[in-house]
Amino acid sequence: MKRNSAVLIVGALCALVVGLVLFTFQVRQTEVAVVTTFGRFNRAITEPGLYARWFWPVQKVYRFDNRLQNFERKFEQTTTADGRNLIVTVFAAWRVENARTFLERFPNGDLTRAEQSLEGLVRDAKNGVIGQHRFNELISTNRAKVKLRDIEQEMLAVVRSRAGTNYGVAVDILGVKQLGLPESITSKVFERMRADRQRLVKQFQSEGEAEAIRIRSEADRQRQEALARADAEAMVIRGQGEAEAAKSFAVFERNPDLAVFLIELNALAGSLKDRSTLVFDPQTPPFTLLKGLPAEHSMKAPVLTSATNTTSRTVKP
Amino acid sequence: MQANLSRHLLGHTLALLISASVAVAVALYARSATGLLAAAFTGFGVLVTALAWAQAVLRARETREQDEFEELKRKRADAALFTASDETFRARRSRIFFERWGVPAFVVLLFLAQGGAAYALWRGLDRLPPLLTDRATLAMAFFGMLGLLGLLGFLLGKYAAGLARDERHRMLRPSASHLLLGALLFTLAITTEAVAWLGYARVDALVARALTILLGLVALENGVNLLLEIYRPRGQRGELRLLYESRLLGLLSQPGGLISTAAQALDYQFGFKVSETWFYCWLENALAWLILLQAGVFWLATALVVVEPHEEALVERFGRRLAARGALQPGLHLKWPWPIETTRIVSTREARSFNIGFIPDPKLEAQRTLLWTKPHYKEEFNLLVASREQGDEAAAGNAAEASVPVNLLTVSIPVQFRITNALDWTYRHADPATLLERLGTREAAHYLVSVDMEDIMASGRRRAAEELRERIQQRASEDRLGVEILFVGLQDIHPPVQVADAYESVIGATQERETKIHEAHGYRAERVPLAHAEAARRVSEAGAARTAKMARSAGTAGMFTNQLAAHAASPGVYQRRAYLDAIVAATAGARKYVLTTTNVQQDFWLNLEDKLRPDLLDVPVAPVAPDSKKP
Repeated sequence: MKRNSAVLIVGALCALVVGLVLFTFQVRQTEVAVVTTFGRFNRAITEPGLYARWFWPVQKVYRFDNRLQNFERKFEQTTTADGRNLIVTVFAAWRVENARTFLERFPNGDLTRAEQSLEGLVRDAKNGVIGQHRFNELISTNRAKVKLRDIEQEMLAVVRSRAGTNYGVAVDILGVKQLGLPESITSKVFERMRADRQRLVKQFQSEGEAEAIRIRSEADRQRQEALARADAEAMVIRGQGEAEAAKSFAVFERNPDLAVFLIELNALAGSLKDRSTLVFDPQTPPFTLLKGLPAEHSMKAPVLTSATNTTSRTVKP
Repeated sequence: MQANLSRHLLGHTLALLISASVAVAVALYARSATGLLAAAFTGFGVLVTALAWAQAVLRARETREQDEFEELKRKRADAALFTASDETFRARRSRIFFERWGVPAFVVLLFLAQGGAAYALWRGLDRLPPLLTDRATLAMAFFGMLGLLGLLGFLLGKYAAGLARDERHRMLRPSASHLLLGALLFTLAITTEAVAWLGYARVDALVARALTILLGLVALENGVNLLLEIYRPRGQRGELRLLYESRLLGLLSQPGGLISTAAQALDYQFGFKVSETWFYCWLENALAWLILLQAGVFWLATALVVVEPHEEALVERFGRRLAARGALQPGLHLKWPWPIETTRIVSTREARSFNIGFIPDPKLEAQRTLLWTKPHYKEEFNLLVASREQGDEAAAGNAAEASVPVNLLTVSIPVQFRITNALDWTYRHADPATLLERLGTREAAHYLVSVDMEDIMASGRRRAAEELRERIQQRASEDRLGVEILFVGLQDIHPPVQVADAYESVIGATQERETKIHEAHGYRAERVPLAHAEAARRVSEAGAARTAKMARSAGTAGMFTNQLAAHAASPGVYQRRAYLDAIVAATAGARKYVLTTTNVQQDFWLNLEDKLRPDLLDVPVAPVAPDSKKP
């Protein structure tokens, strides 16, 4: 008996669950739903909650996510108004606005098919709008010229109006996610960037060279100037020495002949320094002594005259 | 009797065949993995039941043959004419051949098929698309019908199982097991559909995985049975062995049998009738209630919500958000049990992150050195950056003819954020994390197309990071993502790998420039002070020369004054003495020749030219003493 009541309770619960499943349905906060009766549109439900329905196959419930879906497609090549090639990735965020239209356009509310259709619209709008703008409206160091936001808004306006009427879909966000260049142009850009860098390399190298030359020549100039100034000063100083020395020579005036004799003698002594070879004849004193003792008068002869008679040959190496 | 048995088995086979075919179609239509597994089990049931039917037919023919033989033997007294020979019992030989070769061969095939199916399903379940809840109603209706068929089979099976206790009807047991199992699995499929409809579609995959394991176990059991069969001692002739019968499935489809078997085992072990004690009787009666109580407790547990420290929870009643309750903060909370109220748990306090411009590679993450010339991420995107040249060209009006006036740059920008508004994050966007990443990438791309590459790579980096953070935050707020951007870092920004070496050579060139300049400074630092020193030396030399000159002339003048006095005393002698003193002193080191001939031309020749080469006359001679004489 006890077991039977347990079976009864379980059976009742099962019947309750099956009954709930067959006659009710939930629409969650994140959903909108369309109810059809034998395939014919019955009602669209946009508010979440628990709703009653007839069991399948009388009524059928289609639920769609009412939140913003977002999608993007791969890079696609396009051309600007001034004929530049460009690769653009665009993403869009959309939501189901009119559940009935959405269900009619995309059987069973197939999100993949909806996104494929929207992608077509987005591509068309993208190529159309970008084709009306110049390249420097997309990329420029002058911020005032860059019109990417306006371009996005133009695309959005085109897509929004078509998607709303055609698919029952509201496109809320559309953005250019990424800009790129085709492969062949990319390699050219790399070449240009490389050449630009080479230019800088050469510039820096020659700048270094030039600066070095400037610094060196400046140093040389300073050196030359310093030495020239020093030489000039030295010459003045030496002249002063000459002038001062000349003052002492006044004493020579007391016997100029003797002074000249002594100076000459000094010069002679100076010129015979180092390795000289002298050739004398016997008339030259003191070699006159080689001829024997001189007569007394000869000793008295003035030296200066006998010196003039002296014949000598001096060979300087 | 045997014919009756065959009819039963044929009926079972047909019922299972219909169930399997319909179940496959419905499971594929509704994408129910559990339904698919139920169909697989039922399909194998068809094979087993068909084999049992064939065996039953052969056994029936054998019995008929034996009866006919006995009848004839009774009618003809002359037994010699009807001795039993191989030719006589053709049906029996067929049956023996079938049981000896046919059945094991079938079990081998069954083992392979079940094992293969289990393996394929195990591998393939991940790739199965998720269950379609909008087809749940139809699927449940069909599975319900199959369940009814199963129920009918269950009744027939119960009857058959009752019959099967009789040894002759034991052949019905495998097919009865499969019918009961089919009823059970279809009920399970209906349950998973209902659970999926209530929002727990993953349960279907989990149940399917469990059933796949069961299928593998059944295959294993068949394999073990086959091995045991090989080593089994051969018993008496005609003994009924059901090699293809799965005890595992038998236990599953008839749990009552399991309990009674357990009770018998207990009785045997304890040596008295445990199964008749009051506790065992109470337990047996209360088991169903206990299970029901357990299920009830389990269900009530769904009324408790535990929110972790980094989370918030949003409560929905029949799918509608309860605004009055707000977001549940960390801790324990009560709600109405499932399916009346459900919660969505959002990890709001957690710092999340995404990357702009690159896809990280765990292998390359381990690199300790990041170089421009080596890729350090799985994928790095080249982003377009404006270049100042372009601005100039455009100003000059020849933009159309110019080469592509942009640069490419590789950036890696990690962005960290946290959810500040769980409502916006959960209810406004289906995939907010991806949308935020796209918005972030868009802002980075938009920012880069309007800045100069040199600027951003050098001084503009920090400013750029801050501006990007503001832009992404602004976009996220405009699009109501409910997030706060915590950090945007331009952690890496450099030219693409393909041209990175050229950029490095520029840096090398700047170093070279600095090196040359430093060398030149070094040259100057050496030359100028030395020049000043040289200048000072020359000046001081001149000063010294001046002083020497003055001193010398003063000395000469002083000496002359004294010489005057000496000269005045004896002018001739003084001059000669002075002359000779000077000659002697001056020619002390000179080589001297005295020519005694007088007939010599008076000729003074002073050679001041440098000597070109040494000759005999250049041989140095030692200084001679003043008194020595040369010949």
